[in-house]
Amino acid sequence: MAAGAAIEGQIDAAAPIPRLLTNAVERVREGLGTQTSAIGLIFLITITWTAFGIAGSGFLGSYNLYSIGQLAARDAVLGMAQAMLIVVARMNLAVGSIGAVCTSMLGYLLVSAGVPLWLAFLLVAAVGVLAALLMGAVELMTGLSSFIVTLAFLSAYAGGALLFTGGQQYQINSSLITRLGNGTLFSSAICPLVAVAVVCGVVCWLLYNRNSLGWKMLAVGANERAARASGVNVSRVVLAAYALSGLLCAVATVMNASYELNVNAGFGSDWLLPSFIAAVLGGVALTGGEISVTGILLAALFFDSLQSGLTIINVPSYWIELPEGLVLLVAVLLDRARRARRRTMRPRSLAGTPAPEPDPVAAQ
Amino acid sequence: MNRVLRTQWAPLLAATIIAGVVLSFSTKQFGSSFNVYTILQTASVYAVIGLSQMMVLAVADMSLAVGGIASLVTIATGNLYQVQHWPIGAAIAGSLALGLVCGLLNGVIIAMTKLSGFIVTLATGTAFTGIAYGITSSIPYSNIASVLTTLGQGRAAFFSYLVLPAIAMTLAVGAGFRWLPIGRSLLAVGGNRDAAVLSGLSQKRAIVTAHAVSGLLAAIAAVLYIGVLQSATPATGSDWLIISFAVPIIGGTALVGGEAPASGCFVAAIVLSAINDALIVLNVNTEAVQMAEGLLIFAAVIAGKLGQNVRTGTRRSRRPSTGPGRLGQIAQDSATPGLGMP
Repeated sequence: MAAGAAIEGQIDAAAPIPRLLTNAVERVREGLGTQTSAIGLIFLITITWTAFGIAGSGFLGSYNLYSIGQLAARDAVLGMAQAMLIVVARMNLAVGSIGAVCTSMLGYLLVSAGVPLWLAFLLVAAVGVLAALLMGAVELMTGLSSFIVTLAFLSAYAGGALLFTGGQQYQINSSLITRLGNGTLFSSAICPLVAVAVVCGVVCWLLYNRNSLGWKMLAVGANERAARASGVNVSRVVLAAYALSGLLCAVATVMNASYELNVNAGFGSDWLLPSFIAAVLGGVALTGGEISVTGILLAALFFDSLQSGLTIINVPSYWIELPEGLVLLVAVLLDRARRARRRTMRPRSLAGTPAPEPDPVAAQ
Repeated sequence: MNRVLRTQWAPLLAATIIAGVVLSFSTKQFGSSFNVYTILQTASVYAVIGLSQMMVLAVADMSLAVGGIASLVTIATGNLYQVQHWPIGAAIAGSLALGLVCGLLNGVIIAMTKLSGFIVTLATGTAFTGIAYGITSSIPYSNIASVLTTLGQGRAAFFSYLVLPAIAMTLAVGAGFRWLPIGRSLLAVGGNRDAAVLSGLSQKRAIVTAHAVSGLLAAIAAVLYIGVLQSATPATGSDWLIISFAVPIIGGTALVGGEAPASGCFVAAIVLSAINDALIVLNVNTEAVQMAEGLLIFAAVIAGKLGQNVRTGTRRSRRPSTGPGRLGQIAQDSATPGLGMP
């Protein structure tokens, strides 16, 4: 290291002006680096909307935009539910099963038990949080990986929800819920659910940018041992992450129920993939310690625009599953490439002085 | 004998056999030769699915694409036989090769990008299933070759013919890990990546090999299942995710890699299949069966952890401790991690 610093000094002294220039360029590029996922996604959404707007009739019509917003809002909240645990270097395979449990609870409380709406919301949120907390507690007590714990609970919760309802359908008749999922906001192209997703996004942004709990979550995800050594109560932070993930699953459940209206315990079985696509495409690092709430919102919008566009240009419904897999694969590979590029830049910013290697041109 | 008793699945197997005997006395149906045949038939497919996952768990990776590969292979077999009119042998060979290629693709992507197998196989598995649904327009192929029917449905009293290929696969995988250099190198890489790489083994090669063989085994499971189901549908594999993890984990495969007890897979497959069957015979809801699977994974993993601690504890103290002393041993072991490990 000492030798490297000496060489650095020599080069700095020998060619200060070009070095300063490349340094400045690097600074700008690095600043963009954290935002590339958002900028890239806006670009992708523009392309998608333009292409489908030309190719498919009615894609940019208010009816279609409304339904894209409806779906994207739910997927964005699912992405945030998944991101809560990805940030602390864990994962939640049971998002859909917690959704199934919450859906059953919501249906039972509103239809069979006739509980007032506010109380039903409160209880459903509590059930979501408790279901997730239980997984967190089991993970911490047994020291198993979150993958295996949430996989086991995926099966247990889905089975439990079906057992509880006996496969019953619940027809939700609440004017507030109906207006939430099928009403309009400002214009006929915007579903009120979009506002719900944005509010969730703002709360998440505040959590990670303005709240010590959020910072601790990022610290635990980036390096659990270092976080523990610097006095973070890792268990409490992990439990909080699980609880928030469960709460967002409950929110997603209510959103889903508000436009489906006729619900059963089978809901949620296909939520795993959208939750990962929104999070990973949005730029949440799978290794933990990084979050981009804007990215998640945009990724959900892009994903559901693509799905809707494919339907509009008459791609048969049985071909729809293939692009889902491909989008996730491409997202993961792009994310990997971006990180690899950024890693080659990092020494500069950490050292404060420009390092002689790697060459910024070669690093691209 | 001692070695058998020490394995993680021994208590589970013993409990299952006892429960099975009790059940067969209390309900006539459970012990009937047809019911035992059904248990073995399901268990054989479960065993091969479990082996497929065990291959990747051995290198400390995982595959969520087992079901996706199975879906695509099922469609390929049906299509080649029914639409392209290939002889059944060629159709099966072609589909197995396809499974191998799918696994190879997963392995290459994971080895090249160094991403976790989880996210890559989540994506490719969905894509494989998507292709299968797209090609068939979700209409199953119903013309099934008599060979597959005989294999899947044939039986001699309670003995399902499917047990034969399942045992063959178990032995082959077990032998591969024990005697083949590549098998040993997979375990070495899975057990300690850095140490294996430092001693000259290729991590990339191990990961690619594990995923390729996993794809082949998923394909074999899919072909066997066509005969059981009497239909080649793209829906095959959609519910294999939990099974694929439950079987190897209950069979004693460590999630951290470096272990591949093939025989454990086979036993765990029988245990799982018997439990499912018992719950159905006892008229418990099918939903409860799903719950039971999740809880069983836990029971197995936690029992495995405790068992490991107890085993290492007895080895040190040279006497089997029971009662409160045993609990103390566990507490002591978990308090001093690393000491208990061999």
